[in-house]
Amino acid sequence: MPLLEINDVSVSFGDTEVLSGITLELESKQLLAVLGASGAGKSTLMRLIAGFDSVGAGSIVLDGETLSDTSKTVAPEKRSIGIVPQDSALFPHLNVGQNIGFGLSALSKEAKAERVRELLRLIRMEEFASRMPQELSGGQVQRVALARALAPKPKLVLLDEPFSALDAELRGQLREEVRQVLRAEGATAVLVTHDQEEALSLADRVAVLREGKIIQVGSPSEIYNSPADVGIATFLGESVLVDGKVSGGKILTDLGSLSALNNVAEGATGVVAIRSENFYLQPNPTGDSEVVGRVFFGHDALVEVQTPKLRIRARSNGPFAPEVGMRVTVWVRGAVNFYPSS
Amino acid sequence: MKRPPIAAVALGLLAALASLIPIGYLLLRLFEGFEAALAELARARTLELLLNTIGLTVSVSLTALAIGAVQAWLTVRTNLPLAPVFAVLATLPLAIPSYVLALGYLSVFPSFSGFWAAWFTLSLATSPYVFLALSAALISSNFAAEEVARSLGKNRWQVIQSVTWPQVRPAAFASVLLVALYTLSEFGAIAILRFDTFTRAIYNAYRGSFDRTSAAALALVLVALTLVVIYFERRYRGDRWQAPTAAGRKRRIDLGRARILAAFGLGIIGLFGAGVPLVSLIGWSVNQTGFDLLRLGELVASSLAVAIAAGVVIGIFALAISVWNLRYSSRLSGAVDLTAWAAHALPAVVVALALVYFGANLVPGIYQSIWLLLLGYLILFLPNALGLVGTPIALVPRSIEEVARSQGLSKNAALTKVVLPIALPGILAGVALASLTVLKELPATLLLRPNELDTLATELWQATEVLAYSQAAPYALALIIIAGVPALALNAQARKLISEVS
Amino acid sequence: MKLRGALALTLLPILLLSGCSAEDNALLVYSGRSEALLGPLVEKFEQESGLDVEVRYAGSAELAAQLLEEGENSPADVFLAQDAGALGAAAKAGLLTGIPDEIYSLVPSGYSAADQSWVGVSGRARVLVYDPGKVSELPVSIFDLEDASWQGRIGIAPTNASFQAFVTAMRILHGDARTLAWLEAMKVNAVIYEKNGAILEAVEAGQLDAGLINHYYWYARAKDVGQAQMNSRLAQFQAADAGNLVNVAGVGILNSTDAAEQFVSFLLSETGQQYFAQETREYPLVEGISPADELTPLADIPTPAIDLSDLDTLAETLELIRQAGLI
Repeated sequence: MPLLEINDVSVSFGDTEVLSGITLELESKQLLAVLGASGAGKSTLMRLIAGFDSVGAGSIVLDGETLSDTSKTVAPEKRSIGIVPQDSALFPHLNVGQNIGFGLSALSKEAKAERVRELLRLIRMEEFASRMPQELSGGQVQRVALARALAPKPKLVLLDEPFSALDAELRGQLREEVRQVLRAEGATAVLVTHDQEEALSLADRVAVLREGKIIQVGSPSEIYNSPADVGIATFLGESVLVDGKVSGGKILTDLGSLSALNNVAEGATGVVAIRSENFYLQPNPTGDSEVVGRVFFGHDALVEVQTPKLRIRARSNGPFAPEVGMRVTVWVRGAVNFYPSS
Repeated sequence: MKRPPIAAVALGLLAALASLIPIGYLLLRLFEGFEAALAELARARTLELLLNTIGLTVSVSLTALAIGAVQAWLTVRTNLPLAPVFAVLATLPLAIPSYVLALGYLSVFPSFSGFWAAWFTLSLATSPYVFLALSAALISSNFAAEEVARSLGKNRWQVIQSVTWPQVRPAAFASVLLVALYTLSEFGAIAILRFDTFTRAIYNAYRGSFDRTSAAALALVLVALTLVVIYFERRYRGDRWQAPTAAGRKRRIDLGRARILAAFGLGIIGLFGAGVPLVSLIGWSVNQTGFDLLRLGELVASSLAVAIAAGVVIGIFALAISVWNLRYSSRLSGAVDLTAWAAHALPAVVVALALVYFGANLVPGIYQSIWLLLLGYLILFLPNALGLVGTPIALVPRSIEEVARSQGLSKNAALTKVVLPIALPGILAGVALASLTVLKELPATLLLRPNELDTLATELWQATEVLAYSQAAPYALALIIIAGVPALALNAQARKLISEVS
Repeated sequence: MKLRGALALTLLPILLLSGCSAEDNALLVYSGRSEALLGPLVEKFEQESGLDVEVRYAGSAELAAQLLEEGENSPADVFLAQDAGALGAAAKAGLLTGIPDEIYSLVPSGYSAADQSWVGVSGRARVLVYDPGKVSELPVSIFDLEDASWQGRIGIAPTNASFQAFVTAMRILHGDARTLAWLEAMKVNAVIYEKNGAILEAVEAGQLDAGLINHYYWYARAKDVGQAQMNSRLAQFQAADAGNLVNVAGVGILNSTDAAEQFVSFLLSETGQQYFAQETREYPLVEGISPADELTPLADIPTPAIDLSDLDTLAETLELIRQAGLI
């Protein structure tokens, strides 16, 4: 039985419906990432789960107990749901140890101290117990915020874009740490983010939220390789959209005849999304395409190629990346997703 | 600690010396008649006055804190209907001189007098100080932290205690300090409401028996009380926490059905704090005949000129002391800050007479000139501005200044180009508050002004001396309208931020 | 820089105002009487004499306190005060240079300082104002007010200089012990007000049955609203009672210049005296000039037999008033 069930939840603020028909499930000890652009309704969903707003329709059930439905909303302090907000929001008048121990008032003094120590070890900040939040760096602040949320062993932890305030390098490091900490604690978590890399790398399951509706739910590779529509496809990674028509079970495009990943109706017209890493550039002096640009990253390169009909960007292995001006033949590896136009 | 800018030190020392003038004067009078002074203090009446004064001060402080806190919390944090309107209403009593408030109530309830009347009037008159301070503190406090606290198992009341209060505590203490010292020094309303405090006794000593020695003895007790109050405020105020700018939108707490009740409650407070006096004044004005518009225009111009000039002067000194004490603090700067406060509970008449003595005998060149008047205002109202100017300066991180220095700016340039613009809202608030208080001020203005200078306040006084209320009313209304401008400016900042929080 | 410009602009008012410092006028008068009252009279004087007069308006007591602080260095030439106490204080501090004989003799001797330090300008009589609907039996003597039947019905203004002058008169006539007893009875019986005007208002409004005030308050109000509209009435006490004290507003010279003496003469001239009679309904003191029609002539008031200059012993009076707990 899933730990968290969100059943057909909708909510409106004023006249605008912010979320409609949200249905999600989360098993214990898993991390669900809710991925969406700003304004998609991610924060609203978080607040509903945490209990700061009430649902307009539907219900939210945690560990068998209905927390929110149209007749009642259990108060946040009674839900056993921890939150790590976007700006960490550490209590500025308490030190690190006191911040972490804030929710542990039910424990005895010794038990509380022990638990705080345990968490400090987990986030590798044992020496920082008496430091004040103003003295910490961005990454340290987020770790403390996570430890604070986990301290009372909540049933669920909500992370609201926890890495958005940090720079790219720090983000990568911290992500890994956070994942480890969550695993070590056996925590069930919902992470809300607009960063697809974050969602794909951290989560066990990903739900894509757009304009208040869940478009697709699945494992990261499902979402990545079989995006439910063009919007998700382009959102999740560098893609090229090419027109195509289904004929004889294959899709005819300006880049050749391609195999379809999904079921396609004979004769349908639509669009095919090809990831940049799905291209193979074969050096060919008589090839019909020419390399017109290249950004070299060292380990790989993003190569811009002009084919007879299209301009595409392809990812290419570093040492073998074609130079500008080379003529190549463009191949598409593997099957692609076809999205019929309706 | 690096060395502070010369200008800050010079101005700070100047202000401290100025504040010492009244204290020096009092000590002079005290030693002239030391035994008489002791006899005065030993009277049973003095004990009665002390109890009255302390009782009034404590009760008004607590009440103003309660009123201001409730108003601030409701307008900033909840979905109170018409929150900006209530915020304005909460600030409005600031524009009304306390003696006008008292007269307003008296005209409606003629038997309004004694302790409860004084408590009621002064609590309403001073609650705006607390409201302004707390609403600013609440706006800049970390709201997300409150939600986190709830997720960690604390109910609403526990959250206020353990998370909200520690963050707004410095603002609360600072504003209650102003309230307490104001109550200690207040005379106009207390006299009209016939309640006996130290200040009333001091006035009677000066005007009745011209007994300056006993007046000085009583006044020095007030100075002692000031120092006690300041000691407690500094000790228990807590440190100012630099709240990081919270990302994301802030939410308002839903009051549900209690919305109407809350609005009703605030409405009642607003009715008494501003509604009743304004309605009385308008009523009197309507009875007026033969009103001289030109004269009113003259008075408005002179009142504004004096108030603005004083506000700017006070603002400059407040800035100097704040910069010195908060960024380059030393024992000396702390002493300067304390000295500026020491004279704050003295009744204006004491400060004025001290300056009369000082001006007439020591520096006749500035006697009865605008400069001496401005000096008087500086001594009286510098502390009002210090709090407002100090807070933003305290919160500007040192790292910003260091970055500016590292990019080649000199110490002074770093201050003026970097710190000042960030602290500007606070500085302007300090100037606004000082100007506002000067507009309403009466006893010192009467004693120190240049002979032919009349202001709305002095004109008002002339009329009320002979109880010509209908004559006084239009001037009182004009005064309130003009004072309303800086009062609303003080609040506009809060209001703007309130509308952003939704 | 923008900041500097703004700063300069706001300091401009200061510069403009600094033009308002004390100029070298012919005469500087400290007046405890209001501008509304004295202003027109000063203007008339300026027209007639061609002199420039600068006046500082404030309360008599505040001005006296100011003069005491200023001491020898006071810039004031003339001090016009509402009551004898303020003038007495200035005289005691040695600040008054004395009134020239020819001016001093214009006023009957009882109404000026015995040592010629100041001269009376206009008189005010102490009266009992009462509500005829509520007071059926008028007190005959001031001491009748000690009776328990007066509890809560009589108003006094103990911080008011005129009241204090009257209590001084009582001390002179009946001694300190008797006065203290009366004051203690007032502590029980009387309702305390800050000003005489407030007492009159209260009686008019029906909140207070009676009060001790100065006569001109009643007449000033009667002039405003019409005598027929007045609810209250005035009464005097029995002959030579302390409650019938006539006190004076007076003037002293601090800096004896021609201009100062001219001004004082002017106040005691026909013009000046008639002005007080008509404008405020006070009693002109110079012989031959009659008060406003509706007033009881000064000579007919059954005043107590005291020398006004003895009213200078204000400090002891205040001590008694404070002892009784009224201040």
